[in-house]
Amino acid sequence: MSDTDSSREHSEHRHEHEHDHAHHDHEGPGYVTPQAAIEKSERERIAYVLGLYVGTDVDAPDFLATVDVDPESDAYGEIVDRQKMPTKGDELHHFGWNACSSSCHIGGLERRYLIVPGNRSSRIHVVDTEDRRNPELVNVIEPDAIHDLDLSAPHTVHCPAGGSVMLSMLGDADGELPGGFLELHEDLEGYERWDESGEIDMNYDFWYQPRHDVMVSSEWAAPSTYQPGFDMDDVEAGKYGHQLHFWNWTDRTVEQTVDLGAEGLIPLEVRFLHSPVSTHGFVNAALSSNIFHFWKEDGEWRAEKVIDFEGREHDDWDMPVPALPTDILLSMDDRYLIGANWLHGEVWMYDVSDPANPRRADSISIGGYFGETRAVQDRELVAGPQMVQMSLDGERLYWTTSLYSTWDNQFFPEEADRGTVMLKADVDPRRGTMTLDEDFLVDFGDLPAGPARAHEIRWPDGDCTSDVWE
Amino acid sequence: MRVEIVQAADRASKSQSQGGTAIAVEPGEVLLDAAERAGVPIPFGCRTGACSTCTGKLRSGEIEHVRAPRALKERHLRTGYVLTCIATPTTDCRLEVGPDVQAELLENPWK
Repeated sequence: MSDTDSSREHSEHRHEHEHDHAHHDHEGPGYVTPQAAIEKSERERIAYVLGLYVGTDVDAPDFLATVDVDPESDAYGEIVDRQKMPTKGDELHHFGWNACSSSCHIGGLERRYLIVPGNRSSRIHVVDTEDRRNPELVNVIEPDAIHDLDLSAPHTVHCPAGGSVMLSMLGDADGELPGGFLELHEDLEGYERWDESGEIDMNYDFWYQPRHDVMVSSEWAAPSTYQPGFDMDDVEAGKYGHQLHFWNWTDRTVEQTVDLGAEGLIPLEVRFLHSPVSTHGFVNAALSSNIFHFWKEDGEWRAEKVIDFEGREHDDWDMPVPALPTDILLSMDDRYLIGANWLHGEVWMYDVSDPANPRRADSISIGGYFGETRAVQDRELVAGPQMVQMSLDGERLYWTTSLYSTWDNQFFPEEADRGTVMLKADVDPRRGTMTLDEDFLVDFGDLPAGPARAHEIRWPDGDCTSDVWE
Repeated sequence: MRVEIVQAADRASKSQSQGGTAIAVEPGEVLLDAAERAGVPIPFGCRTGACSTCTGKLRSGEIEHVRAPRALKERHLRTGYVLTCIATPTTDCRLEVGPDVQAELLENPWK
């Protein structure tokens, strides 16, 4: 597909979308608005969670776990299915849908296929979830095909309206810079490079806000830098990122790069507000342990530090332990920014009804180096809270505890032998409070093949980090 | 070439003199491919020399990397670490493998 065709198709979709909204029509996947997602969605009963054996003594492939999260079910809190990947060594990390609410106006499309990339292997899997409790692998794009496009290390998966899928790619064919973007066609078999090589250098996460024709992308490092593990020499050598790139979504070019500076090292998850009219968003500068607010003003994108997590003294450490906020999300009503400080052991929620002035609402101190809660149901917590996911209604928050296999080995080495846990808190979105649900525990350490790590979480009917509105 | 593969996880339970599993490596073949052919597990990831999951430590013998070993720093190369996905032996070798070898590359920098 040429750029011209793509732009034309895009504008046709936009036209159709405006027409449909005028009639409150809703033929496609997802929900008409973020508020509709809160009102119309049912409670999540299944969670899909990525499980990993890469880089451990367990000689087995990574897998997609189906977890029963229905309190009415006899299997509540159990891993009821494991769809194994065909090859070992993937490092499954993030994943996403073939369609979400951005296609809510497009009849015939379903939220049905999970795109599951291997961050180390550069292998991309397509999993059919028609049978929700028994997902089935239906297509694999092999690493050689990805390398032929001079790309590697797939990360974030988003689904622009219309059925195609975008993936951020963190490296070139050698695992060096520059990274770029891959577009999977609607048939989930065809693919092409989306951007022109060299438009950006480093890549990590991205989010798009169609009504403003903008995409924002963040920066981790080259795969050959971050994949072996974290080395301070690499930070000092400038090999880790500190910029946000604001793209013209139609033209596929970077219109503005914002340097977050020394306080913005390793900006990871970029979250625009769900409201399609908003130009506000947040990013977690993980290494600097700061949260930045970004927004558009007078035609320019701006970013400003709005939360600063202080390091804490620890007897075993030469320097204060940084908080390392490695994941954030926005509740579907855009009222709360929620995140996890992996090293400190804290899950937090900030009121961001005024995005420039976040107000700390509540937190749970658990796991990590300082968490007050050290075990759940007598299961010792050997790592901190990491990847977070929230129910669409904003009343339940779940998280896992593994960051990335090699980084786990440096900061929480026991995670390899004990495996990851998935935990849950009940959230009161009116009072701004959260409470650990000690009745809920999913132990990935207790699996037939051996203890597994676990990373990103998704629900079959959409979640706070999948759904975008046109 | 003959390469003896020792699993690092066995270090604690076995003496240094105790042997590993000997495998045959064809000329130009990379260690990981030969180990897989022989059914000897070595963890791996990218298979391009970028990620270091397959790192081994050479106890004796010599190898050459057929691609640039991008995942290893100079200090790793000097001390005998090799990337089995892109390394081929040039003499008979003895090689230690497993996740514990990879984990030796980088420790917690602040602790």
